[in-house]
Amino acid sequence: MSTEVISQLEIDRTRGDFSYPEAHTFDAGIGLTHDTIDYIVDVKGEPDWIREFRHKALDVFLSKPMPTNWASQDLNNIIFEKIRYYLSNAQRPTRSWDEVPDDVKRTFERLGIPEQERKFLAGVEAQFDSEAVYSNMKKALGDQGVIFVGSTEGLKEYPEIFKKWFGKVIPTGDNKFSALNSAVFSGGSFIYVPPGVKLKHPLQAYFRINAENFGQFERTLIIADEGSEVMYMEGCTAPKFETATLHSAVVELVAMKGAKIQYVTVQNWSANVFNLVTKRAIAHEEAEVKWIDCNIGSRLTMKYPGVVLKGRKARGEVLSIALANNGQHQDTGAKMIHAADETTSNIISKSISIGQGRSTYRGLVHIPKHLKGCKNNTECDALLINSQSRTDTYPAITVRGSGNSVQHEASVSQVSAEQIFYMQQRGLTEAQAMSLSVNGFVNDLVREFPMEYSVELKRLIDLEMEGSVG
Amino acid sequence: MSNALLETVQSPASQSLPDWFQELQRASAEQYESLPNPTRRDESWRFANLKAFDLQDFAPARPFAKDAAADLLTRSTGVSDASGSLVFANDELIQATAQLPKGVVFLPLADALSTHGDLVKAHFMKEDPALGSLKFAALHRSSVKNGTFLYVPKGVQVEAPLQTFHWLAGAGQAVFPHTLVIAEEQSSVTLVDWYQSADSSAGLACGVNDLWVGKDASVRYVSFQDWSREVTCIQSNTTHVAAGGNATNLALHLGGKHARTESVSHLNGSGSRSDMLAVTVADNAQEFDQRTLQNHRAPHTSSDLLYKNALYDTAKTIFSGLIRVEPKAHETDAYQKVRNLLLSEEAEANSMPGLEILADQVRCSHGATTGEIDKEELFYMQARGIRTKDAYRLITFGFLNEVLERFPCNSIRETIQASLLARIAGH
Amino acid sequence: MSLIIRDLHARVAGGQKILNGLNLEIEKGRIHAVMGPNGSGKSTLSKVITGHPDYEIISGEILLDGKSLIGLEPDERARAGVFLAFQYPMEIPGVSNANFIRAALSARLAEGEELEATEYYAELYEKMDSLEIPRAFTARSVNEGFSGGEKKRNEVLQMAMLKPSYAILDETDSGLDIDALKIVSAGVNAQRGPGFGALVITHYQRLLDYITPDVVHVLVNGQIVRTGGPELALELEAKGYDWIREELAEPAAV
Repeated sequence: MSTEVISQLEIDRTRGDFSYPEAHTFDAGIGLTHDTIDYIVDVKGEPDWIREFRHKALDVFLSKPMPTNWASQDLNNIIFEKIRYYLSNAQRPTRSWDEVPDDVKRTFERLGIPEQERKFLAGVEAQFDSEAVYSNMKKALGDQGVIFVGSTEGLKEYPEIFKKWFGKVIPTGDNKFSALNSAVFSGGSFIYVPPGVKLKHPLQAYFRINAENFGQFERTLIIADEGSEVMYMEGCTAPKFETATLHSAVVELVAMKGAKIQYVTVQNWSANVFNLVTKRAIAHEEAEVKWIDCNIGSRLTMKYPGVVLKGRKARGEVLSIALANNGQHQDTGAKMIHAADETTSNIISKSISIGQGRSTYRGLVHIPKHLKGCKNNTECDALLINSQSRTDTYPAITVRGSGNSVQHEASVSQVSAEQIFYMQQRGLTEAQAMSLSVNGFVNDLVREFPMEYSVELKRLIDLEMEGSVG
Repeated sequence: MSNALLETVQSPASQSLPDWFQELQRASAEQYESLPNPTRRDESWRFANLKAFDLQDFAPARPFAKDAAADLLTRSTGVSDASGSLVFANDELIQATAQLPKGVVFLPLADALSTHGDLVKAHFMKEDPALGSLKFAALHRSSVKNGTFLYVPKGVQVEAPLQTFHWLAGAGQAVFPHTLVIAEEQSSVTLVDWYQSADSSAGLACGVNDLWVGKDASVRYVSFQDWSREVTCIQSNTTHVAAGGNATNLALHLGGKHARTESVSHLNGSGSRSDMLAVTVADNAQEFDQRTLQNHRAPHTSSDLLYKNALYDTAKTIFSGLIRVEPKAHETDAYQKVRNLLLSEEAEANSMPGLEILADQVRCSHGATTGEIDKEELFYMQARGIRTKDAYRLITFGFLNEVLERFPCNSIRETIQASLLARIAGH
Repeated sequence: MSLIIRDLHARVAGGQKILNGLNLEIEKGRIHAVMGPNGSGKSTLSKVITGHPDYEIISGEILLDGKSLIGLEPDERARAGVFLAFQYPMEIPGVSNANFIRAALSARLAEGEELEATEYYAELYEKMDSLEIPRAFTARSVNEGFSGGEKKRNEVLQMAMLKPSYAILDETDSGLDIDALKIVSAGVNAQRGPGFGALVITHYQRLLDYITPDVVHVLVNGQIVRTGGPELALELEAKGYDWIREELAEPAAV
C-alpha cells in the first residue's frame, strides 16, 4: 500500500544538496520545517495520526531551549538549519543478505562480527542513513509470533501493538532531542515478543550513517510480553566527515510482568558525531531490564538509559562503559525511577579518559514517598590516563521515607607509572601495558556482557589505546 | 530605596564606617537589587525551595532592648574554657571579654574597620560565592553591621577556644552576622560561632564567615546554627588555606525553618588540607539545603568531607557537594561522604555528590548513602534491654557522633554532644 | 525457677520452618549445652527466645520463671532476664562502649533512678581487667574495629555487667584462640551460681572443656534428639553427628 501512495505523489527528489558522491532517491533537503515533516510522512506513506504526532513534536522541539544550563556548551555547535533530516533509497529493507550492498557487508566485518558469527543471532537489521536496508529473522521465531521489523513497517503493519506503547515510555516533550526524534524519526526496530517466548539468541541491529551533514533519528520500540525474554544488540558506526553529524535516537522498552529485556549497545560513531540519545524502559511486576551501554566513539554523547520500575519487585540495571579520547566527551549515566515496592536497581559505570578526553557520569535515582523495600546500588569508577584528561560525576539521589536503602560510591584513579614500568620491564610496549591496565579496569564489568561483545570491546579498547600514549 | 532590607545602607550608624566600606555597601546594594533571583534551572539551586528565600517580609534588625541583655548573657554559655567571648544581639555588641596572647586581635568587626581597616579590606569577601548565592552575598555585603574579627599573628598559638554568640530577637528582623578570621603563618586558633534566637519568632539570618588559614597555620572553626524554628537562614562559608595550612570546619545545623548553607574550601597552596564536617538534625517541616565545594587549586592538597543528616517527620535535606581538582593540582587526595538517616516515612533526602577532576595522579572518591536504622543494630540493643525508643536515639546519636569524633577539640566536642543528645531526646 | 521451652515450632518469617517441636528446661544454677550440626537450628533457637523479628513462632511456649516471653519486645525479654551473647556481635558506630553498657543498665532502673557514675566505672573497670580488656575500650565505639576475640570478650563483659538470670551463649567459642577461650570461659564461669542458668550453644566440644555443662543436648532438624551428661559431648566429638542421624532414621525404616 505504501508504495502505491508514493507513486501517486509528486515528490521533489532533487531537493537538497547533491554534491556528495552518494545519491539518494529520497532526500528531505537541508533544514527542518513543517514542510520537511510532510515530505517524510508522504515518502513513508504514514497514517495521519503519525503526521499529526510529528508536527506537534516539531513545535515542542522548537519551543524547548538547549539544555546548556547543565550540559556541554558544545551543543551550541549543532546547526539544525544545516542538517539533512531524511535520506534513503527505498522504504523497504531486503530480506536477503545477498542483495545487501557490499559496503554494508564490509562494515559488518569491521565491527568484528563477521558473517559466519551471524549464525549466533536470531535476527539482524541493518540501517543506512534513514532506512533499514536489510532485515531478517529466523523463520522459527516468526512462527512463534515474534515480530522484528523496522519501526516504519511496525507502525503500519502492527498498529494495534505499536500505538499502545509508542511515545508512552518517552513522551515527546521529555527533552529537546526526544522531541526532535519524534518529529523526524525514521528507521529503528520494532520488536514484539509474545507471552512466554524466550529468545535463545540475540536480535542484532546495526546503524550506519553514510552521508555527511546528516541526522539519523531511528526509533526503537521493544515490547516483551508476560514472561518472555529477549536480548537486543546494536552497533553504530559512521565514516569521518569534515562536518559534524547528528544521531538522535529514541529507544523505548516495555517489559511486561515477569519479562526480561537485555539491551546491548556498542557505540562507535566517528569522532564528529553528536550522539544525543534517549533510552528508557518500563519494567512491570517482577520484570527485569538490563541496559549494557558501551560508548567508544562520537564527539559528544549524551545518553542516560533509564528504567521506570513500575511493578512490584521489578529490577533495573545499567552497566556502562565509556571511553573518551582526544576531542571526545562521553556524557553518560543512568536513571532509575522507583515507582513500586521492593523494586531494586543497580548501576555500574566505568569511564576512561585518555589524552584530552572528558567523561561525565550523570545519574538520577528517585525513590518517592510511601514505597517500601526499594534498593539502589550505584558504583562509578573513573580512570584518568593523561594529565589533560578530565572526568566528572554528577549523581542526584532522592529518597523519601525510611524503609528504602540507597548507596552510591564513586572513585577516580590513575594507571600508575610504576605499574606501566613493571609491565614494560617484562617486555610489553607502553601502549600494550596501558591497554592491559585499561582492560583490567573494565574487566569485571565486561564479563557481564555477551561473549561476542566482550571480545569486540577489548579489540576497540586496544585500538583506542594505540597512539594514546607518549 | 524601595527594598526594606537595604535600609541600613543609609542609616546614620553607617556614617562612621570607612569610605571604602560605605562605597562597597552602596555598590553591593545596587548589585543585590539588579541580580536576578535564583531559579531551579540554575544547577546550584536544583531541588531547592526557592519560595523559602523570598525575603520581602524582613527588615534589618532594630536596636536591641538593653534591659533584655542580661537574660541573653546568662544564656550565652558555650564552652567553659573559652579565652574570649563576644556577644551580639541583633548585630549589636552587648559584651566582650578576652584574655589573649599578645598581638591577637579579637574585636567586633565594626571596631576593626577603624582600628585594622587595611587588614579587613585585604580579606573582606574577596572571592565571590561559587555555589549560587551571589545575590545573597551582595545582600550581606550591603547590610553587614558587625561580627567577629579575629587576627592571629605569625607563630602565635591560641590554645583555648574563642567564641562568639549571635542572638536574634524580635519578629521580622534580619541580622547579617559576619566572621573574619585571619591566621598568619604557623599560628593556631579555634573559634566557635553560636547562632541562636532569643525567642521563637520569625527572622532572617544572612551570614558570612571567611577563614584565612596562613602558611602552616591551623584553624578550627565551628558554626553552631540553632536559630528559632521560624528563621530563614542563608549562610556562606569560605575557607582559604595556604601552603601547609590546615583547616577543620564543623557545622551544626539544628535550627531554622529553611536553611541554605554554602561551604567552600579553597586549597590554594601545596600541602594544604581542609576537613569539612557537618551534622544536621532535621525535624518537623525543616528544610536544610547544603552546598559544598572542595576546590583544589594546588598540587599535594587534601580535603575530606563528612556530612551526616538525620531526618524526622516531613523534614527535607539537600546535599550537593563538588570536589573540583584544577588541572595543575596533581597528587591530590579528596574525599567526600554524605550519609542520610531517614527516621520517618515522610522525610526526604536529596544527595548530589559531584566530582570534576582535571588533574593527574589524584585519589578521589565520594559516597552517598540513604537508609534507615539498621535492624540488626536495633535488635542488638534491644537484646541488651535497651528500650526501642532509646535504642533509636542511641543509634542516631552514634551515627551523628561519628562526625563529632573527628573534631579535635574536646571541650567543644563535649558541649556539642550534650546539645545533640538533648535534641535527639525529643524524638 | 527455670527457662522452659515447650513444644516450640518456629520459622523464618514467611519462610522455612526451622524449629519442630523443641523442648528444653534450663534451671537456675545449671548450665546446659546444645550441640548440633550446621543448619540444625541452634542459632535460630537463640534468636527465637530473644525475639528477633526475622523469626516467627508457630506454636509452643517460652516461659521465664513461669511468665511467657512470647509477644514481648526483644528489650522487654532482655530486661526480664535473658541475655544473648551474639555469634556475630554488631558494630555500633559513634556509640562508645561505656555509654552503651550504661544505657543498658539505666534501662533496668526504675523511673527517676540514676546510675551512680563512680560505682559504675569502678565495676566496669574491674570486670574489664578480669577479662583482660584494655580500659581504652570504654571510649571506643561498640565492637567497631574489634578483632573476633575482642568482640567475644566484650559480649561476656556486657553479660557480667548486666547480670542476667539466664544467658544464651551462641557459638561464643567461634573465632577464639586458646588463650581468649580461657579468658572468656573464666568470665562465664564467674557468673555460675544458684541465680544463673545458661544455655551454651556450640558446634564443638572444645568449649565444654572449659565451661563444664551439667546437661548436654543434641539438636537435629529443630528438635532435641538426645540428652545426657558431659560424656555425650565427648561421644559426639569422637563420632561426629552422623551416627545420631542414622539412629534417628532407623525407627522410620521399621
